[in-house]
Amino acid sequence: MKKLMTGNEAAAWGARLAEVDYIPNFPITPQTEIIETLSKWIREGEMKAVFRTMDSEHSMLTAAGSASATGARVFTATSSQGLLYAFEMLYNLSGWRVPVVMVNVSRGLSAPITLEPDHNDILSARDSGFLQIHCETAQEILDSILVAYKISEDKRVMLPTIVNFDGFYLSFTREIVDVPKLEDVRKFLPEYKPTHTFFKASKPLAQGTPVLNSSLYSYFRYQVHRAMENALDVYKEVKEEFNKKFGRPIDEVETYMMDDAEYALLMTNSFSTKGKKAVIKMREKKINVGLIKLRLFRPFPTKELMKQTRGLKGLAIIDQNISPGKGGVIYSEVSSELYNYEEKPKVITSFIGGLGGKNISETEFEFAINYTRKVYEERTTLRVPILLFTEEDKKTSKTLIDIAHGGEKNEA
Amino acid sequence: MIKVRFHGRGGQGMKTSSRILGTAAFLSGFFVQDFPIYGAERRGAPVVAFTIISKEPILERGYIFDPNILLISDETLLLDKQTDPTKGMSKESIVFINSNKNEDYFKEKIGAKVIVEDLTKIALEVLGRPILSTLIAGVAAKLVGIEQKYLEEAVKEELEQIGANEEMIRKNILAATIGYNKVQEVKIEQTESLEPEVKVVEVEYNDPEISTPVISFVANSYLKKTGTWRVFKPIIKYQKCKSCRLCYVYCPESAIKWENNFPVIDYENCKGCLICVQECPLKAIEIVREGE
Repeated sequence: MKKLMTGNEAAAWGARLAEVDYIPNFPITPQTEIIETLSKWIREGEMKAVFRTMDSEHSMLTAAGSASATGARVFTATSSQGLLYAFEMLYNLSGWRVPVVMVNVSRGLSAPITLEPDHNDILSARDSGFLQIHCETAQEILDSILVAYKISEDKRVMLPTIVNFDGFYLSFTREIVDVPKLEDVRKFLPEYKPTHTFFKASKPLAQGTPVLNSSLYSYFRYQVHRAMENALDVYKEVKEEFNKKFGRPIDEVETYMMDDAEYALLMTNSFSTKGKKAVIKMREKKINVGLIKLRLFRPFPTKELMKQTRGLKGLAIIDQNISPGKGGVIYSEVSSELYNYEEKPKVITSFIGGLGGKNISETEFEFAINYTRKVYEERTTLRVPILLFTEEDKKTSKTLIDIAHGGEKNEA
Repeated sequence: MIKVRFHGRGGQGMKTSSRILGTAAFLSGFFVQDFPIYGAERRGAPVVAFTIISKEPILERGYIFDPNILLISDETLLLDKQTDPTKGMSKESIVFINSNKNEDYFKEKIGAKVIVEDLTKIALEVLGRPILSTLIAGVAAKLVGIEQKYLEEAVKEELEQIGANEEMIRKNILAATIGYNKVQEVKIEQTESLEPEVKVVEVEYNDPEISTPVISFVANSYLKKTGTWRVFKPIIKYQKCKSCRLCYVYCPESAIKWENNFPVIDYENCKGCLICVQECPLKAIEIVREGE
């Protein structure tokens, strides 16, 4: 059944169709609409789940992990500052090996405080042991939540997953979503039957126990890595089953116009749509360019990425985040994974764009590709990263700063 | 290079011992490192501390696997398989044990150069409490050949830092001196490093039932006999006991059972906290030093 809905509503539909048992929650813009939607459904009897608003995201994630440790299917959602507030619990949940699915609606981090998206929030959770699936469309949000439960609850994985999407540009954007039938979802995602996480008075169990032994600590944390490696295989199985049942591919790495591409943009999340449009425009100008979208970020789909970037003259990575003192996080990740690969792209360039939701225009995408071509063709020295910041951006910034200092008369 | 390893229980002062030895060696002009390892801080739980003294810069970190000198402040630790205080000891190592047993008792068991002294007795006499930090530091300083004046200076410096008053410092310098004079300087045999050679192996994925920090076996704590932590043993004088149950209620370890209308102390698990002695309104529980 096709419906027009926001990204947030699509996330709520994902939780509803997964028939989750428990939703600990805490509001934060731009995520709140997800939990509002769920609370409305529960109140009106359309959905059966326990809905609990906690005192903070830290408590929310603790409750999520604990409930999951008793064998409940748990959903929760947060964003930005909220994710950071809950941060220590991320590592706890992966260590407990509980298959919680959490949505993060990306929003730039304070300071200065903002509401619009970039990916410093979600990428800070890179090493936490949560799987990460990044979404471009509202449809992908719903689909990814179902896929996430299926992978997370697999015995070979048993790790929590974050499904990520951009605030505003996806969270509040309405588009068409094909909502699968509940009976079809049930066939794809049967009831969760835990093997090591359960709650039975007849069989007491201490979970998340302290380990004051470095050998055992190493073993347990490495098992999280091993489980992540397994998740790559499980993802492949699950995406095939999903595609067979629902007719929608949900590949780890999505490609766009890559068949004969010599250059490519590499992106994540909702701005990939803008990137795709820019690719079409560049193709009209006879530039052989395509786009690679990283959907699965943890575990990192290295083999898929090698396959899709093989023999490229240049790969331009657009990072909607910044690691001060280093540059783009995705650039670091991709470059390090491709370094030992013989058929790696000849040039990998790095661009920081869309911080705090700033637009990335077609010209800026074209600038990125042109710069990459120049580096490849003329062997010019590579400068990384380059900030995608226009004359207009500079002018706007100046005007606003002038106003802030009482000098509005100085600037038109 | 001299590597000294201190084994004790939380509250006995092994960290302070290793620091006093470290400071004394530093004041004597050596390169020094000292370092303690302990888990969640609990009185009575095993503690390990280390001091390395060298004429050259020290390229060491963490656990000392091959000590030249081992100081064991609590003989019951020898029974603790996880602590294994004689681990990495060689024939040349010198082992000092605080005990009221004699040297022959340990010689057979340990098979190295063993020195035994009852420091707890001295601590009770001089300090009034079974705290061994300065006594053990005194023993260690003498064994490695530190001059007494540097030991005294180090005791003062370390105890001032933890807020000890003049009286306490005076008593502790006395304790350190007694420890110092109980033993003779030893010749340290320089041996090749004994850090064991290891093999790097693959770690396969295991199902989450195994590979998560879960305990499914109920009440496994009985494997740890916390009864070895005692310095003092409470003994119930049944002729005075009126079965009021206060000791039974107050025991924080549930180590007092109720049998035939009388309390019975489970000595395998009683840590010797002596709360029962404090709470007994009839003074029907006596205190005896362990091993006497």
